[in-house]
Amino acid sequence: MAEFQCDVRDLKFALLEQARIEKLFDHPRFEELDRDTVEAILDEAYKFARNQMAPMNPIGDREGASFDPATGKVTMPAPFKETYDLYTANGWLGFVHNPDYGGQGMPYSLGMAVNDLFFGGCLSFSLGPLLTTGAAHLIETFGNDELKKIYLENMYTGKWTGTMCLTEAGAGSDVGAVRARARKEGDYYLIEGEKIFISFGEHDLSENIIHAVLARTEGAPKGTRGISLFLVPKTRVNADGTLGEDNDVKCTGIEHKMGIHASPTCTLTFGENGRCKGWLLGEENKGMRAMFQMMNEARIQVGLQGASLANAAYQYSLQYAKERVQGKDILAGKGSPDVTIDRHPDVRQMLLQQKAIGEGTRALLLRTGFFLDMAEVSTDPEEKERYNGLVELLTPIAKGYSTDQGFKATELAIQVLGGYGYLSEYPVEQYMRDMKIASIYEGTNGIQALDLIGRKLPARDGADMKNLIGMMTKSVQPHASHPLLAADVAIFTKARDALVAGATHFAKVGRDRPLSPILNATAFLDLMGSVVVGWLLLEQALIAWPRFEDICRAKNVDALDSKATRGICEEDPDAAYLHDKIKVAQFNARRNLALCPAKAAILQAGDESAMEAML
Amino acid sequence: MKILVTVKRVEDPEAKIKVKPDGTGIVTEGINYKVNPFDEIAVEEGLRLRDAHGGEVVIVSCGSEASTTEVRSALAMGADRGILVKTDQTLDPDAVARILVKLVEQESPDLVIMGKQAVDDDQNQAGQRFAQYMGWGQATQASKRANLESEDEKARKPGLVISGETVEVTREVDGGLEDVRLKLPALVSADLRLNLPRYASLPGIMKAKKKPFQNLTPEELGVDITPKITAKRFLSPPMRQAGEMVPDVPTLIKKLAEEAKAI
Ligand SMILES: Cc1cc2nc3c(=O)[nH]c(=O)nc-3n(C[C@H](O)[C@H](O)[C@H](O)COP(=O)(O)OP(=O)(O)OC[C@H]3O[C@@H](n4cnc5c(N)ncnc54)[C@H](O)[C@@H]3O)c2cc1C
Repeated sequence: MAEFQCDVRDLKFALLEQARIEKLFDHPRFEELDRDTVEAILDEAYKFARNQMAPMNPIGDREGASFDPATGKVTMPAPFKETYDLYTANGWLGFVHNPDYGGQGMPYSLGMAVNDLFFGGCLSFSLGPLLTTGAAHLIETFGNDELKKIYLENMYTGKWTGTMCLTEAGAGSDVGAVRARARKEGDYYLIEGEKIFISFGEHDLSENIIHAVLARTEGAPKGTRGISLFLVPKTRVNADGTLGEDNDVKCTGIEHKMGIHASPTCTLTFGENGRCKGWLLGEENKGMRAMFQMMNEARIQVGLQGASLANAAYQYSLQYAKERVQGKDILAGKGSPDVTIDRHPDVRQMLLQQKAIGEGTRALLLRTGFFLDMAEVSTDPEEKERYNGLVELLTPIAKGYSTDQGFKATELAIQVLGGYGYLSEYPVEQYMRDMKIASIYEGTNGIQALDLIGRKLPARDGADMKNLIGMMTKSVQPHASHPLLAADVAIFTKARDALVAGATHFAKVGRDRPLSPILNATAFLDLMGSVVVGWLLLEQALIAWPRFEDICRAKNVDALDSKATRGICEEDPDAAYLHDKIKVAQFNARRNLALCPAKAAILQAGDESAMEAML
Repeated sequence: MKILVTVKRVEDPEAKIKVKPDGTGIVTEGINYKVNPFDEIAVEEGLRLRDAHGGEVVIVSCGSEASTTEVRSALAMGADRGILVKTDQTLDPDAVARILVKLVEQESPDLVIMGKQAVDDDQNQAGQRFAQYMGWGQATQASKRANLESEDEKARKPGLVISGETVEVTREVDGGLEDVRLKLPALVSADLRLNLPRYASLPGIMKAKKKPFQNLTPEELGVDITPKITAKRFLSPPMRQAGEMVPDVPTLIKKLAEEAKAI
């Protein structure tokens, strides 16, 4: 059985038919793109993910990155270097970044689709490039011209990699507690402190590593308002761009962990010998603001990891279920032949649930990426603000909901395989272990929920939420009497109303009972995620329906006659794909969206027992 | 030097192929298409030779408009220009060979590289027929001695050795390898172990669209493509029958001997 598989058709559908990124091609920045090119890019990325990345995924898991305490060096599993060199040489690293600095200037939405494939191929590998572009983008936005000249091209082309150094032993979710220090010495600073959990903090893929480090200058105010951002190279760079002296950054260990074994999680000591130079990015004490600019992008990418591994796990369990013979059709008589497990109703439900999660969150991520593109290219300030607002609002959902649900999907994939799913010999348990980190890093999902209710909902007096609700309503409401999907549209409408009721409730009680929204933040994120993903799946079904009808009409078959359409779907994979877009939307509406009114009722009920318990 | 490389649009080898109920062909709806894998190897070899000796690589495909995609993917790998001989008719290997003859008269390449066969109908004929019509030397099933993990392969060193007016080719033959030397121009057809084709780079994909691309038709070339071979009927291979459990080894042997007539 083929290991890593992605339904690239679904990726293309969500990108081109649903998000309709073709709109972007009118913009001068993307004028070289067209549909064929987008498809060619996705096909090539899939080829790279399957042939080059996926074979090293289990190797990375088994061998992991290794640390030598004597030298402080980290060695990556053997195939990683070759793949990294090919990946960078082929232009994938700076895919969405500035062409003036060696990037490829592609739209975010397309970059997300490409990363969907790469994360699925090998997540631990893909984190290196992700952090590199994250750090480089900080330099591009906040660095002075000289820093940009020295670092950017080398990073966007992958010659040097980058990291994001926020976390310390005492500063995890509370970034304001950072204690690393920076002392000004002329045009640079001397950095001192220890960072932990730094992904790709040390490795042997590139000749230099550029750290983006949060630290405090002397006399800086307490908390987040006293944090500054610095660029700290592992090896200093001479004015002519050649590598100079060692910069006194040392890796003192890597963590042993549940998943992403080939992504080294490093403890880094800066300035042990008082010789670690850093350069300020942006202004002193404005480091958090800089980080926040980065966060949308990084969080959306982490959300994508949820969708991507959910889909990879689903594809594997689907293939497996079609081949594994066990038991008989429960309704067939005695002596009936044994069947493959995909005939068992419980297994089918698990498969459909995974499909709903995987394809629904994928649609959410790609749409959010498209909004990000629209916010960038749009010239009308009002439109720009609207798209920016949507991205802001959707970011905690895209991150939190996709990774929580994505984890569930990988867990269901194990369940579909039964005992074999639990074995290392099969890839699904690795997907689950690799996936778990996504609900923790880049701000835990608990922090995402607080961000959603505390910052994003009230922002611009709730205008973003109104826009989102309006957009959902506009796309679904006209189909209230749809020949096939009317009942599902009605379920969605109720779910949407429940979401509005939940948000209104928070606004109402928040002032008098501030604990209530906080206690229900995660529940609200889940409710909102269900509604948004339910909407996107329904929208896909509404797009699929007329096309499915066309296929049926061409064969003189009534599209509503499920017995008759079965034959068409068996013959024609395109018809089957469209048919199942409709089925998964119905399944999701009836089994997941239908729960939304209850979810809203729970968060309005004001249960505080968790706070009252003695624990 | 000028190298002409052919590419064919074929069904994705991983696709589940179904035969149309009336047996007139296969169901094409929803099938993914790709460059014939042997042709990718041919393209790769062409690129390596060009990079070593200079010149250009011209990609040729014969088939429907949709084959533009396959020509473009060869251009994305780094080839210089493309030619599509467009027709919606089914082409048999002889028609392809005669189309190539005309193209070669126009283009005068020093070398033509083809895949040894296309994985859709597995004919393994077009190259041989073409060389015969031209009166050229041919080396089919080109391979090489260096293995695909070697440093030479990593450095993308060509497997074909061109010196002056000749090309040396290592061929795969039953039970081993055979070295041949041909006078140029010549035809070489690529086997699996000749090289590992490169991935297209993103800038390569973007540039492919802007490379010269010529559309021709068999009529313009004056080639009659009326098929000499026609497929009468397509049939799916018979479904595998369920196995039978036998109580013991003697029964098994008896059945193998008497029923299956296998021993
Ligand atoms: C594999 C891995 C890779 C990582 N890579 C990086 C990296 O490259 N760079 C980097 O800087 N960091 C990195 N991290 C660190 C990661 O971002 C932190 O672990 C994360 O932010 C959580 O911090 P913490 O572990 O200290 O947990 P804590 O902050 O202690 O959180 C524990 C629990 O308490 C909850 N909690 C904490 N505060 C609040 C609050 N105010 N309200 C409600 N709930 C709260 C959390 O949601 C969580 O459930 C990585 C971590 C891991 C494990």
